[in-house]
Amino acid sequence: MRRRESTKVLRKLERVGKRLAKLVLDGKEPYLEIPVRTLSNTIWDPEKRMLMLGPRKARRRFFDLNESRKFMQTLLMLSLIIKARREGDYPTIRDLYYMGKHTIEYRDHLGRLRREETWRNQRESNSVIQDIEVLTGLLREQMGIMHDAKGKIVGNIVIRSKGYLIDCSRMGSGAYAIPPNPDSLEIVKVNARYVLVIEKDAIFERLNEEEFWRKEKCILITGKGQPDRSTRRMVRRLWEEYGLPVYVLTDCDSYGFYIYSVYKSGSISLSYESARLATPGARFLGLTVSDIDRYKIPRNFIIKATDRDLKRAKELLSYPWFASEAWQRELKLFLKRKEKVEIEALSGHGFKFLSHRYIPEKLKREEWIE
Amino acid sequence: MSIVKGRLLLDVTDKVIALTSELSYDEYKGISAAEFFYRNREIAGFSNPTRALYQTVRELVENALDATELYGVRPSIKLEISLDSSDPSVVTVKVEDNGIGIPKEEVPFVFGRVFYGSKYTLKQSRGVFGLGIKMAVLYAQITTGKPIYIKSSTPSAKDIYEYELLIDINKNIPVILNEKVYKKRGNWHGTIVSLTIEGNWSNAKKRIEEYIKRTALIAPYAEISLKAPDLEVHFPRSTKALPTPPKEGKPHPYGVDLEMLKSLIARNDGNTTIKEFLLRTFDGVGRNTVLQFLSWAGIKENIPLKKLTVEELEILARKMRDFPNWRRPRSITLSPLGEELLIEGVRKILNPEFVAAISRKPSSYSGHPFIVEVAIAFGGGVPVVDRPLLYRFANKIPLLYDEGVDVSRKVVDNIDWSYYKVKMPAPLAVIVHICSTKMPFKGVGKEAIAEVPEIEKEVENAVKEVARRLRRHISKMEKLFETVRRRVEIEKYIPEVARALSEITKLDQRVFERKLKRMLRKKVLTLKEEGVVS
Repeated sequence: MRRRESTKVLRKLERVGKRLAKLVLDGKEPYLEIPVRTLSNTIWDPEKRMLMLGPRKARRRFFDLNESRKFMQTLLMLSLIIKARREGDYPTIRDLYYMGKHTIEYRDHLGRLRREETWRNQRESNSVIQDIEVLTGLLREQMGIMHDAKGKIVGNIVIRSKGYLIDCSRMGSGAYAIPPNPDSLEIVKVNARYVLVIEKDAIFERLNEEEFWRKEKCILITGKGQPDRSTRRMVRRLWEEYGLPVYVLTDCDSYGFYIYSVYKSGSISLSYESARLATPGARFLGLTVSDIDRYKIPRNFIIKATDRDLKRAKELLSYPWFASEAWQRELKLFLKRKEKVEIEALSGHGFKFLSHRYIPEKLKREEWIE
Repeated sequence: MSIVKGRLLLDVTDKVIALTSELSYDEYKGISAAEFFYRNREIAGFSNPTRALYQTVRELVENALDATELYGVRPSIKLEISLDSSDPSVVTVKVEDNGIGIPKEEVPFVFGRVFYGSKYTLKQSRGVFGLGIKMAVLYAQITTGKPIYIKSSTPSAKDIYEYELLIDINKNIPVILNEKVYKKRGNWHGTIVSLTIEGNWSNAKKRIEEYIKRTALIAPYAEISLKAPDLEVHFPRSTKALPTPPKEGKPHPYGVDLEMLKSLIARNDGNTTIKEFLLRTFDGVGRNTVLQFLSWAGIKENIPLKKLTVEELEILARKMRDFPNWRRPRSITLSPLGEELLIEGVRKILNPEFVAAISRKPSSYSGHPFIVEVAIAFGGGVPVVDRPLLYRFANKIPLLYDEGVDVSRKVVDNIDWSYYKVKMPAPLAVIVHICSTKMPFKGVGKEAIAEVPEIEKEVENAVKEVARRLRRHISKMEKLFETVRRRVEIEKYIPEVARALSEITKLDQRVFERKLKRMLRKKVLTLKEEGVVS
């Protein structure tokens, strides 16, 4: 993080704290105004083709019985982040969880000694980090907060990180691990026709072993299931800065479909980040429900959809970002057949079927959906 | 009738005996002591060694209390129970009081003559004929053969005197085995009574302990101690206030029956007119009322008493009961405890978080005045129970047996306690004290009050009145708890929030803590005023 940028971030965070301190010293109840991060305040922007945060804000008042604990947690987290910024530390979200976790001891209204954890689990501490993001308009990466990045990239791309040049076509059997803040990377050279985003790590590894990217002149990326922010940011940069088409390959089930939509339009809980993370141009390559018949998936690879799958699919059907004709058809077909298929099912036609036939053929025939 | 020390006394006559329905002197004449005892032991509560021991304790303690508080003396009562070293079923009960004592010449009769009515007066007292003590003497006589030992002295007496007595039941006279008189050195007065009976201490122990505890509750102005083989309790006097002693009263016409009428007439000159007789003898009868009554009943006002036939007396008694316009009986003959003393007693014994008491206005049934007093105790030392604990008292006597059939149990059980914000099981106790010149006991055991409609209604009203006060208290506590709970739920985060603000601003954490705490207290109050907090 550059020095001037860092100072600006610190001042912004401190302003929030100083405003609260002033309220208290003036004898006024301290409160925060935080944009609401729920589905009801998530808006589908059809122009941008992204999920955006709506205008609704909620007052988090300290003396409100229902908000008091969250207020305390928000302020605790704010002080931790400010401290890290002042000292030039780069804690992960897990570090922050442990740094802030301690026991509050108090006597309840009946005089009994009680104990309470400042937060019970990392979900609680993560949630207030997100609140601070929307509250300040600062992203967690800007605040110098790291996370366990799990995304990987391989292919015809050269990157510079901390002055070191990294050629992602020379990683051997491995791949380059996308760092928590991909904006700190400089993309030096790209020699690829497209980006293939793969849901599953195992499929990514197999295609990498085959050096699929060399043959196809592409870049492979995986987010290992539900993608983290840095993976999504990396995809976005390649699409935005280099105009590369982005194709997404997932299992044929509601979760695979939703993962595609997270790359493409953003997620509900992080809708405030869509402008930076979403790739509206991302296309869904497969597997589609109609692929089951078209590619004659052997019966033994077909799995019965669970109730949860079906419930999720029905939800997707109602989301505006799944409103396209192609998606409506696929989702309805899924609900009708009540069957799902993994990418591995294509191996029923041989292990090379995916790389030699399915992907190239689908791209050639432009058989993706959006 | 004779007046002794300002008290209305009736001597042992067949007229007095006629007043009791249970026992008849005529009947027992000529039978053996054992037979008399066995015929009447159920009534007097001596049915078995456990009950007999309990009953003996009761008789002695109640006599002791009557000998003190009725005369304005703050009771100090010492009860000692000891077992014979070779036979634990031989039990000696000794009670000492600091009362007015018994005049020397009366002692043999008080303890040694059945129906010697030293206590028969128309005012509230614990015992009536003092029959119970004589039953205890007889019981001792039959089971252990030991005489009763009495030591007594009145405040004005110059001597202290000791007696050992038995009762000759055939002649109904005391047999004095031993008599000692010696000069009084200090100014001791009171009575010590000791009886040795066949009893079962280990079975009676719990009841006796409970009886003493409850006696201490209803008489917080008394100092009571109990010393027994494996038990020692001491209830110190917790207040100096004594209830106003009852005054003498006349009978009320509503309560009259033929036998009573006869005995009352016998105390008058035969030439006394009926008008004068009614006027002089009864409570609630004034000049106007008596004329009104006589004309209503069709009786001439100037008929002398001696002219009245038995048939006319019967009509008179009935008409007196039926006449609707007598004034209500007066309650001067009663000695209720009063709300303050009742509360004091409940506090002393149950140590509750909340107590309320009510002493109702006097009321009457069948010509007998009565007063109902009820206290309610909640929380604190009151044990948590599935249905309200009930402490019953009749003329300050704790009732321990037959609770299930008592009118108060019925009233308390019929109440929907949830209406008073009490969720059972709860630490709830109801204390009911009924005082009357005639207690309507149910059955012969004298341990349960009958369901007399007037009394039931009074008990119900009284219980509901204190229950309403309890509800107000619980509501108040709920509100208070809710306010405190809300405050605590937020207050617990103040140190953390103050620490964070101090970390960010580098200002003193304590300033933030102080400010936040002060604001919160004000805020929670405001919420309450706004009705946001119920």
